Amino acid sequence: MSAESVVDLSGIVQKFGRVTALDGVALTVRKQTIHALVGENGAGKTTLMKVLYGALKPTEGKVIVEGQERHFTKPQDALAAGIGMVSQHYSIIGELTCLENLMLGAEPGWTIPFANARTKATELATQMGFSFDWDALAEGIGPAQAQKLEILKLLWRGARIMILDEPTAMLSPTDADLLFAKLHELADSGTTIIVVTHRLPEVMDHCDDVTVLRGGKLIASKPVSETNPEELTEMIVGHSVDIPAPTPATPGAVILGVSGLTVKGERGDDAVKNVSFELRGGELTGLAGVDGNGQRELFQAILGLLPFSGSVALDGVDLTKKSTKDRLVAGIRLIAEDRHHEAVIEDWSIELNGVLGLHHTEPIRRGMLVSANARKEIGEAVTNRFPTKFDRVGQRFGDLSGGNQQKVVTARAFQQNPRLILAFQPTRGIDIHVSALVFQALKEQARAGSAVLLVSFDIDEILEHCDRVLVINHGEINEPPEHLRGDRQAIGRLMVGAE
Amino acid sequence: MNWRFALLALGGFAVVYFALVVCGVVPLESLAKMIQSAVGSPAGWRNTLRQATPLLILGAAVFVALRAGLFNIGADGQFVMGAMSGTAVALANPGPVGMVLGMVSGALVGALWALPAGWIKAYRGGHEVITTIMLNNIARVLSLWMVTGIMKDPDEQAATTKYLPTETLLPLIYREKALQINLALLLGIAAVIGLWFYLKKTVSGYELEATGGNPTAARFAGIAVKQVTLKAMCLSGALAGFAGALQVLAYEERFYGGFSGGVGFDALGVALLAAGSPIALLPSALLFGIIAQGTTALSLDGVPKGMSGILLGVLIIVFAAYRYRKEAARD
Repeated sequence: MSAESVVDLSGIVQKFGRVTALDGVALTVRKQTIHALVGENGAGKTTLMKVLYGALKPTEGKVIVEGQERHFTKPQDALAAGIGMVSQHYSIIGELTCLENLMLGAEPGWTIPFANARTKATELATQMGFSFDWDALAEGIGPAQAQKLEILKLLWRGARIMILDEPTAMLSPTDADLLFAKLHELADSGTTIIVVTHRLPEVMDHCDDVTVLRGGKLIASKPVSETNPEELTEMIVGHSVDIPAPTPATPGAVILGVSGLTVKGERGDDAVKNVSFELRGGELTGLAGVDGNGQRELFQAILGLLPFSGSVALDGVDLTKKSTKDRLVAGIRLIAEDRHHEAVIEDWSIELNGVLGLHHTEPIRRGMLVSANARKEIGEAVTNRFPTKFDRVGQRFGDLSGGNQQKVVTARAFQQNPRLILAFQPTRGIDIHVSALVFQALKEQARAGSAVLLVSFDIDEILEHCDRVLVINHGEINEPPEHLRGDRQAIGRLMVGAE
Repeated sequence: MNWRFALLALGGFAVVYFALVVCGVVPLESLAKMIQSAVGSPAGWRNTLRQATPLLILGAAVFVALRAGLFNIGADGQFVMGAMSGTAVALANPGPVGMVLGMVSGALVGALWALPAGWIKAYRGGHEVITTIMLNNIARVLSLWMVTGIMKDPDEQAATTKYLPTETLLPLIYREKALQINLALLLGIAAVIGLWFYLKKTVSGYELEATGGNPTAARFAGIAVKQVTLKAMCLSGALAGFAGALQVLAYEERFYGGFSGGVGFDALGVALLAAGSPIALLPSALLFGIIAQGTTALSLDGVPKGMSGILLGVLIIVFAAYRYRKEAARD
């Protein structure tokens, strides 16, 4: 490993009007390493990366890349200097083939020699150990393949320094491990990688160096071997995280009764197969499983968004014939998987989004009208529940940072006396200490008598927070026997159907 | 405001300037004359407000569809059908009863004319732009057939109905010298305020805007997206049909072939210029009224009527670009 630095940012100040997003930050990245950049939402990670790849022009400070001072004014400048970024949301166009996506914006000339390009693309993919059906439409590929395609796009463009923003946010644990294995290979063959992440285990297991930002300031930058998760957490949060010990669960009455539930998936096969289980009030139940094993379809069927056979009952009342609206009024809340598409209207204010889906319930609905007072109260409640950074409830929702959007969406599920909360990765993109608060709140809601079902792809998260564990694999749900409840290996085996 | 926007506005102005040069008039003089003729005298105001009335209500019709994510190109056809049915009903019932029934039937028939487009969009996925264009053509030909057939005034050569008796017509609410304001304008303003109340205060309006904002999120929020789509299209059609009936009852006093003159398409611009706010329909329709009246006056100097199209096109492009820059700056 070489000690030569390829990226040298120093004294970076970035101001937006009166707000100082970055306050004299420095970052040094050694060649051929994987460098982790960590911090809470709003710590300035993304802003710093935008400065590096040319999307922002810093107010002050120096950008030195491979020994040369640079003044990027647009991402293309940075790309020409060998720096590329894969952002959290992939820029893959579903209507184009994988090959067309690969070349998009970097076509060899006025005409495209497809055969030639395909050969080159295959070579590039083989080097990385990836395989692609280059002529298939990109809409069919999953998040893991999309991530790989994004990385190939950067290599195609000759990037030597790669920035990955939350690269594992959309990936299952297995895919995440595979991704890091590839990143190590890339680093060994000459590429330098910067990973923006929330997940400390990734930092500890896979990265060489780590830089911590907090509140726009540089807190520390050191080799991973010289630190530990406790120290990192404290540096990120600024104080030690202290969550009161939970009270033990006391399961109450059955709230959700599911029996013989079968749901068809997108491809016409059964995504959920003859599933029966009960959820009781007082318990936080975790649903462990690898992404795409029927979690999505299960949730949508319970909320009445997908047709199903079998029966679903809430508080003893059969829901089979009820509309989504009736189910929401009855107290089912969903923290949706895909925030942008399923949970909010980004052009609307926070306040208007705060009552979306709750607007069927009294007193938000008053006869034919939406109560302005109730709307205002909910708007305040959803922003106060978890520490959220925002200007005012009339602000455009889409202008919040991703983590803060998620906090509002999660907080919304707690409003108007929920009976059942279906939480699909409710802390995605939320920083460590607020995540802890979210799990705490879910548990408290359960203790107050609601049933809570938490979908997570992370076994450790479930073991740490949940009272009870269910495992979903290929649309079938199993509960590990009593003596194996806390057994990570046993649950892992159930997740992949090895038992 | 920045230099790009200033440059664009200047470029837009240059387009209008040269178009006027090509027409063979002195550009600045003509523009002054336009403004003078539209708002410089009581008679000018009378004509401008008369032009603005259908633009306002049709603008509201297109606007409400847009809020639900629908592009109602069919406002023109709904306007024609509303005007035709309003005339028929008003002719059959002379006096104030016919006036009221005429307006009601205009709105009803407008809604009915939009219904197929709404239904096909909601339940069969057929694009509303295509279906409403088709319905426009059917409305045009059907109304021409009616007005040359059973609705035709036998004493007239032209394809027109009988004139409505004075007691059936909407009254003037203001009259001083040449300035006359018809009740229709007040009804139009009331419709816009009603629309604002509906969209911003009622559950139904909330659901309509949610459906337009993000249909998937709306579905997840328990909103019956298909019904809302159908409802929005019919509401849009009702407003357009109402505008048609008012046009007869307030201004035209009869129905004739080629009734709309494309006002339903100008309304697309009115709605687009108003962006997200129903109240902004008022200044937007007034601006369109001024341009329509101003270019009518210019036509006396031999400037083709198409000039208004150029002016409006330039305005919409400049405004859209300004809004786009503002949004881009925010991101």
